[in-house]
Amino acid sequence: MKNILTIARREFHAYFGSPVAYIAIAVYLVLLGVTFFFKIPFLLPKDGFFEAKEATLRPMFEWSIFLFTIFLPAISMRLLAEERKMGTLEILLTLPVTDTEVVLGKWLGAVGFLAVAVALTLAYPILVVALGKPDVGPLVGGYFGVLLVGASYLAVGLLASSWTNSQITAFIAAIVICSFFTFVDRVPEALGIHAVEAFQVMSFNHHFRSIARGVIDTRDLVFFASVILGAITLAGHSLESRKWR
Amino acid sequence: MIEVEKLTKDYGPIRALDGVSFEVRKGEIVGFLGPNGAGKTTCMKIITGFLSATSGTARIGGQDVVEHGVEVRRRVGYLPENAPLYPDMTTREYLSFVGALRGIPPDALPDRVRHVAETVGVADRLEQEIGTLSKGYRQRVGLAQAMIHDPEILILDEPTSGLDPNQIVEIRALIREIGRDRTVILSTHNLPEVTATCNRLIIIHRGRIAADGTPDQIQAVHGGGNAYLVEVLPAKDIRPEDVFRGLQYVEKVAALDRPDTDALAFRVEARGEADVRADLFQACARGGLTLVGLRRDRADLETIFQRITLQ
Ligand SMILES: Nc1ncnc2c1ncn2[C@@H]1O[C@H](COP(=O)(O)OP(=O)(O)OP(=O)(O)O)[C@@H](O)[C@H]1O
Ligand SMILES: [Mg+2]
Repeated sequence: MKNILTIARREFHAYFGSPVAYIAIAVYLVLLGVTFFFKIPFLLPKDGFFEAKEATLRPMFEWSIFLFTIFLPAISMRLLAEERKMGTLEILLTLPVTDTEVVLGKWLGAVGFLAVAVALTLAYPILVVALGKPDVGPLVGGYFGVLLVGASYLAVGLLASSWTNSQITAFIAAIVICSFFTFVDRVPEALGIHAVEAFQVMSFNHHFRSIARGVIDTRDLVFFASVILGAITLAGHSLESRKWR
Repeated sequence: MIEVEKLTKDYGPIRALDGVSFEVRKGEIVGFLGPNGAGKTTCMKIITGFLSATSGTARIGGQDVVEHGVEVRRRVGYLPENAPLYPDMTTREYLSFVGALRGIPPDALPDRVRHVAETVGVADRLEQEIGTLSKGYRQRVGLAQAMIHDPEILILDEPTSGLDPNQIVEIRALIREIGRDRTVILSTHNLPEVTATCNRLIIIHRGRIAADGTPDQIQAVHGGGNAYLVEVLPAKDIRPEDVFRGLQYVEKVAALDRPDTDALAFRVEARGEADVRADLFQACARGGLTLVGLRRDRADLETIFQRITLQ
């Protein structure tokens, strides 16, 4: 556990040592603010926050998840790919730490970064509370859901980063996987298929909505937990497989 | 301390190691020598558990490096080739990070970091980002990282590459010092380095061990046998050849042409490996010969290395 935290702390500091992190967070916050004023076709067909005159943050959360499919792969791409490329992995993995501790630590460091980015969006709910009286359930559920989705994306991104020593490849692979499993619940609608259930169970969006309603359903928690643990485990295996190449 | 048995490593179609076996005892400083691509780095990566062998085993202190990875790695300090370090961290941050993962308690860590930094001469660069350090300084930080937990075993892949001559002398002295009660394996392309630091030499060529032993043993085995160049003054009625041939350990005597001196020169080959110089000296005295020159005739390491690796 101590090792995991040591590694996580290093990753976390590494993010804030580079201007990229600050730029990414700034872009994310600005784009998120946009939902307060505009509607976004397809994704958020409803009116923007002020037009709808509803005291809810639903549009912001959904937009946030969409942004995450690009923003978080950019954050996670370096986690292992960079170390492989620079050769620093060789020192890290010949320290008395397990591969599992390495991948967990890296993921946790990235989640710390995510938590900072999400915490900075708290300015928006304060605005909502000032303007109306929102339900606390959906607000807390929404934030919880956003963090869960983000943590899952980061796990997927970590996995993609373990496959290659090219950050750009890891970035694209993570975007593809994350957006597929996020928007797959739209497939039946778009194609006019009826097997809605099957598509919904594997969609991040679907499980997010369920949590964002403010009710915690174990099925949703199990979904996120298995994505996170599954991706991290696979990333560990893929690190291990370096030995045999 | 380190036992390596029939290690073979294939990278796809490339066979990098081909049945390498050796043992290293506690207190030995072993130098890996070999041309580029010989397999030195590959061998070190397997011993440290970064890579797995295609077949064969490596054990440290009796424990298999694959099965007991974490325990084995605790006892080993490793400096990979080119000292790959995190460029965005300062020297202090980096050494503290490695030290923490090495299990050094937080309250002992600052002192330990300062101590190793002083040992390798980077104490004045503790607050500098590693990415902005010169190559030699990065190499030193890499060494410091490998020694931070005072390991029983040090594995150093080209530890002196990129260092200035003064620093090379210091690091060699440091390695000799460490090697007194610990075990060191290092690789190098620098032959004088081997004789200056190592008490044993393993020459690797095309994934196999081509020679293994102390520099002396290797010179004896690969350096043209146990031969001596003897120079004596001419003496009336005495044929030096007969004096030498009369010795039971002498195998062959050949007269050499030496127009530049008055002395007579001979190349005397002895059986076995024992140094017979003292004996030759006394034999000359007994036989009434005036000895004016006596030295071993054998190829130096450089020549031996070339002979082995150019085949
Ligand atoms: N990751 C890899 N994939 C494929 N081949 C590799 C890999 N690493 C090493 N090799 C090959 O294995 C052989 C041994 O390489 P190794 O790095 O062990 O040599 P070395 O003795 O350390 O050489 P040098 O003196 O140049 O450092 C070489 O032919 C090299 O090309
Ligand atoms: Mg090498």
